[in-house]
Amino acid sequence: MKIMVAVKQVAALDEDFELQGDDRGVDPDFLIHDLNEWDDFSLEEAVKIKEAWSTPVEIVAVTVGPGGADEILRKCLAKGADRAVRVWEDAIEGSDPVAIARVLAAAAKREAPDMLFAGVQSSDQSCASTGIATAAFLDWPHAAVLTQLELAPGAKSAVFRRELEGGLLHEVEIQCPAVLTIQLGINTPRYASLRSIKQAAVKPVEVLSLADLSLSAADVGESGSASRVRSMYRPQKGSAQLIAGDAAAQAARLAEIIREFKGGSP
Amino acid sequence: MSRTDAATRILFEAFPTAEVRLFYLLSCVAIAVFGYGVYVQIRKYRRGAAFDLDGGVWRRLADMIGTILSHRTIGRRDPAAGAAHRLIFYGFALLFIGTSTITLQYDFLEPLFGVRFWQGEFYLIFSLVLDVAGVALVGGLVYMMYRRGWLRLPKLDYARPDRAPGDPDFDRPQYRREDWAFLWVLVIIGCTGYLLEAARLVWLQARPDVWDTRWWSPVGAMLAEACVSLGLTERGGALLRHGLWWFHGLIALAFIALIPFTKVKHIFTSAASLLVRDPQAAQRLPRIPESQAQPGVQKITDFTWKQLLNLDACTKCGRCHEACPARAVGAPLSPRDVILSLRDFAKSTLESGAIPAAAELDVHGKSPGQVAQETLWSCRTCMACVEICPVAVEHVPIIVQMRRKLVEDGAMDPLLTKTLQTIHKTGNSFGESKRKRAAWTKGLPFPVKDARKEPVDVLWFVGDYASFDPRNQKVTQTFAALLHEAGVDFGILFESESNAGNDVRRVGEEGLYELLANANVAAMAGASFKTIVTTDPHSYNTIRNEYPDFGGKYQIQHYTSLVRELIADGRLRVTSPLEYRVTFHDPCHLGRFNKGYEAPRDVLKSLGCELIEMGRSRANSFCCGAGGGRIWIPDPVGAEKPAQNRIMEAAAIPGLEVYVVSCPKDLTMFEDALKTTGNEGKFVVKELIELVREAVPARQSVGAPA
Repeated sequence: MKIMVAVKQVAALDEDFELQGDDRGVDPDFLIHDLNEWDDFSLEEAVKIKEAWSTPVEIVAVTVGPGGADEILRKCLAKGADRAVRVWEDAIEGSDPVAIARVLAAAAKREAPDMLFAGVQSSDQSCASTGIATAAFLDWPHAAVLTQLELAPGAKSAVFRRELEGGLLHEVEIQCPAVLTIQLGINTPRYASLRSIKQAAVKPVEVLSLADLSLSAADVGESGSASRVRSMYRPQKGSAQLIAGDAAAQAARLAEIIREFKGGSP
Repeated sequence: MSRTDAATRILFEAFPTAEVRLFYLLSCVAIAVFGYGVYVQIRKYRRGAAFDLDGGVWRRLADMIGTILSHRTIGRRDPAAGAAHRLIFYGFALLFIGTSTITLQYDFLEPLFGVRFWQGEFYLIFSLVLDVAGVALVGGLVYMMYRRGWLRLPKLDYARPDRAPGDPDFDRPQYRREDWAFLWVLVIIGCTGYLLEAARLVWLQARPDVWDTRWWSPVGAMLAEACVSLGLTERGGALLRHGLWWFHGLIALAFIALIPFTKVKHIFTSAASLLVRDPQAAQRLPRIPESQAQPGVQKITDFTWKQLLNLDACTKCGRCHEACPARAVGAPLSPRDVILSLRDFAKSTLESGAIPAAAELDVHGKSPGQVAQETLWSCRTCMACVEICPVAVEHVPIIVQMRRKLVEDGAMDPLLTKTLQTIHKTGNSFGESKRKRAAWTKGLPFPVKDARKEPVDVLWFVGDYASFDPRNQKVTQTFAALLHEAGVDFGILFESESNAGNDVRRVGEEGLYELLANANVAAMAGASFKTIVTTDPHSYNTIRNEYPDFGGKYQIQHYTSLVRELIADGRLRVTSPLEYRVTFHDPCHLGRFNKGYEAPRDVLKSLGCELIEMGRSRANSFCCGAGGGRIWIPDPVGAEKPAQNRIMEAAAIPGLEVYVVSCPKDLTMFEDALKTTGNEGKFVVKELIELVREAVPARQSVGAPA
């Protein structure tokens, strides 16, 4: 059995960050990169299945990203992934989740896994759409926000649970292959020791271009995306002030503020 | 020929040849069994992993002999046991030498070269010496029996904190039986020796060379007189002598044969352990060799031969059990029982002809002989066990090696996992941005130099707690002000500094430690400085003792010794002496690890404080509980914490005003313990730096370099 795990290198903001010149992103100098937390759980779910069965299970971690993303692939290899694949070309820069999903779907067609895991969402963009959009491109069944999964190698279907509102649980059977997005807390991701990460560094990361996946530059980037970020900014913070004085003075000041806010003349 | 000259040891007199032959046969059997036992033991050690002793065999030998002859380590914190063991040791050694010289003459020198020395005055003096030695031996043994039987010292109780009553290896009665058998066998050998001597005197009372020189064996002579007065005849003496001779001889031969199979082997194993002692065992942990596939220890054969020898050196004296802070607060750890468990494990797996399959060699788990995860994670690596062990058992590296395997498997507390990931990501355990490392300098009225950009005399390695913890930041700022006012030319590494890694290494995450150590060594290589100072004893230890293995060799001081110098030089002037009644807590990594006992006490004295020592101080200081990465692992709810145990010890000092610490982690741990033990308001916890500030009021900087 083969499980493909889609992973993403996410960025966290450092202290006192600055926006980049075009106001559409954060200056990369102020970003700290790591494996997306949800993907840590989905990879762990795959590794648990691999460890639980004697039939061989191959885990392929796939990411769409530049060379720096090899770091998270190494972490995946250290934790138990068998192979790592990274798809990148400069044209991919500026892709939205739908364009990324197109690339992942092409990679899934190439790998032909029995199941594709993705995190529910990424911690930096929080779109929660890449996994499901990939299922759409593949025309595979899909399910989101899994909190429990039973999957046996070779089985035609898998059974999973999802939490609904009001403390209800859904138990669902799904045909393989399918795309499943995994929720935090489904398991306890293992610790990848620095030594195992270092050892994983000698394992190869397969780097694919768009042509390798029979895609063209038009399929990705802004031209292949359904949406485009116009700008990124910090919202203006609200302010508060304490009005001192007796009741009459307070009322007068309050009326003054309301008039200022309305912008009208007194 | 005078009577004296004729005097000699009566050996096989009146024995038929067949009996003499039988005795020699039995001796050979005993020696063969002994030899086989030694072979089995050595084969067991050789089944351990390779280990290279660093050179200096003669120095090692001299240290070992000095330690054994002086009994320096055995007398520590238990002078009575030391004295009794000294009696047993010297008594036994003299009797052994005496008996050996008989063999030397009777079986070798005389038949081969016709040399006889075992007669005349020499014999008589030796006879006296051996009689006294026997008294020493039996006296020492009787005291040991008194200790075990009547004093019932808690440290000699074999009940384990990491097992429950009913578990097969909970209190190990077989250990008690062996202890008593050992004592009784030696006492019986000693006493029958005297009775035999007395019987021989009675039997040969007609021979002047025997009877007239009897008082050279005073104990035997007294017993002989008593026997005669009780009516023992010469013939009766002869019979008694014949019977006792065999009884004494057979027990002695059995004793020799059993040495390698019983606790008696400590004669050899403890001595050998002292010979291979590493005085830096806990201070400088071993690196993982490049060739090693798996980090740490999973199988008993992953321990080095030296560690397997360490296991056999243990004499169950219980001093580590008594000193261990984890054991003191009821955690499931006794360093003694880690060693004894592994020893039993090694005995059951590695003493047979073939080594069992790998699966049966796994030392991790809860079966007898295995060590549980909770036990390993209870350790604070405070070094109290290693420091007090009289026979150089090195518990801390054994525990850390086993933890390395747990870390590799991810078998650790989720909060610890999180912390290690945080340190990997941000370089500090607080999860703060690197950029914020020097944020504490913003509150200072003077700029702190960037040692990466301009040369300084003193590089201050600040460390995580002193950099990020809000309470400690105040102390850090105070120390900066003191350095500034004293005109010390100092700087820091700003965001290039990473967690020093001391505790990461002691957790067992060696890969992360290597990353941190290399990063700090590289950062320091990019700075120009003469010496390093730090307020953090943990950073101090690893930079001083472990960074040299990573190419970082520096002159480093803990701040206590720098402040002592600044006060002595008059660069810091005590103008308002303090009259506090204080006690001082020795941080493990400053005191036990690096012998920095005096500097903080000298500073306290020069500040005018009245120092009252706690019962457990200096080498016997009681860990705050934060070491070995335990600061990142929550303590069990409801159970006593080591820091609380310690604060209660201090609280017993009448009129105590200040509990003085000199470690950022100590400040955090003890301020917390002060509150949780309800001692808040009775006395306060303060950093020594804060007391220095009080006694040396702020002033304009003097002599600061331009």
